Amino acid sequence: MSEFHDDYPHYETMSNHDEAYGKKARRTLWNVFWIMLAITIFELIIGSMAPGHGWTGTLWLKVLFIGLTVVKAAAIVLWFMHLGHEVKFFKYIILLPYITFILYAVFIILVEGVYSGYPRNVTRVDQIFIDQQKELKSHSAQGGGDAHATEAAHGEEHH
Amino acid sequence: MAHVAEFDAKAAWDGGQSPFRVSYGKMMMWFFLVSDALTFGGLLVSYGFIRHKYAEVWPKAENVFTHFPFIEQHLPLAYVGLMTFILIMSSVTMVLAVEAGHRMDRRGVTVWMFWTIVGGAMFVGSQAWEWYHFIVGTHVGGPEGHGGALRNVWDPATSTYVKQVYHGATMAVNEYGVPQFANYFFFITGFHGFHVFSGVIINLTIFLNVLKGTYEKRGHYEMIEKVGLYWHFVDLVWVFVFTFFYLL
Repeated sequence: MSEFHDDYPHYETMSNHDEAYGKKARRTLWNVFWIMLAITIFELIIGSMAPGHGWTGTLWLKVLFIGLTVVKAAAIVLWFMHLGHEVKFFKYIILLPYITFILYAVFIILVEGVYSGYPRNVTRVDQIFIDQQKELKSHSAQGGGDAHATEAAHGEEHH
Repeated sequence: MAHVAEFDAKAAWDGGQSPFRVSYGKMMMWFFLVSDALTFGGLLVSYGFIRHKYAEVWPKAENVFTHFPFIEQHLPLAYVGLMTFILIMSSVTMVLAVEAGHRMDRRGVTVWMFWTIVGGAMFVGSQAWEWYHFIVGTHVGGPEGHGGALRNVWDPATSTYVKQVYHGATMAVNEYGVPQFANYFFFITGFHGFHVFSGVIINLTIFLNVLKGTYEKRGHYEMIEKVGLYWHFVDLVWVFVFTFFYLL
């Protein structure tokens, strides 16, 4: 390739650096790692405490988890993938189309989700399905006796 | 990095050089990752919609993923926490391999690439283990022998659904809750797991090249950077899968 483009810059070697710079870079990377680990452990602790405290499904918990996830994602993209060090234009050409798409997807899922949640928009089939699932759930929760009887009965049918 | 500051962004658009200051291969890896991220974004958004729609009958992850290898105890989310740790850790070893490559440190690249492959293989293995327990369900190794849940199971003999105690999970029926839960679990973690598997194979190929000295001869270790981008992307997707499947 080089015989055709003698004065073409060698981008492959441009991010090479010496040991002094490498030492600083490694310290940054390890710091990013410890922060991400701390966030993950915090998430797991909150996640395991949630059912006991009745936090499951609350809005603030969802916002907290998604917010922390976005922080972790940003850390991966900006430091681990070095996008923070790239030329400004390159950053934008990667991030802007994607962020636009995701914002649109979040918008559309909220609109459609709210729409499909209205009672008049729940179809007859949906309702039958949900009722069936609820009934199964309550039966299973009632305990083993009933369920085992059903299993035994079914087993006999087959033999 | 230092070179960005001296870079005349305006003049770069006049031709003869890349205005993005990156090589062709690296740029194309980024473009590929954006398109792949769109796929995962679409899958997760669709998951969110279905989950919202069946919110009242959707199973809770802490009641489904309760197993831990070699420990017969009820440990919700512990194993997936460990898997997440392994993947983040292998992301760190990958970025350290990239950094070593920037110093032309062949030994450093070899060591860190090796640990990245080990971490990736451990993650794939863990996912296989988790799938196994998800599919087999509660009657194998479950705590205090409880198991199964009442489900509507298709009976071909009578061509009707019959109520039956069901263990484990398939695409059609599972003991944890609505069938859609297993469908999305299989599809999204399967798609991600396949990415991890591909990543391990790619990393292994590049690792062999490092051992052979291909990049030493070439004069730069940019290939490590490119596969590193892919590997970090796999970690990035897992961060989201972890949140949406296991935490929320």
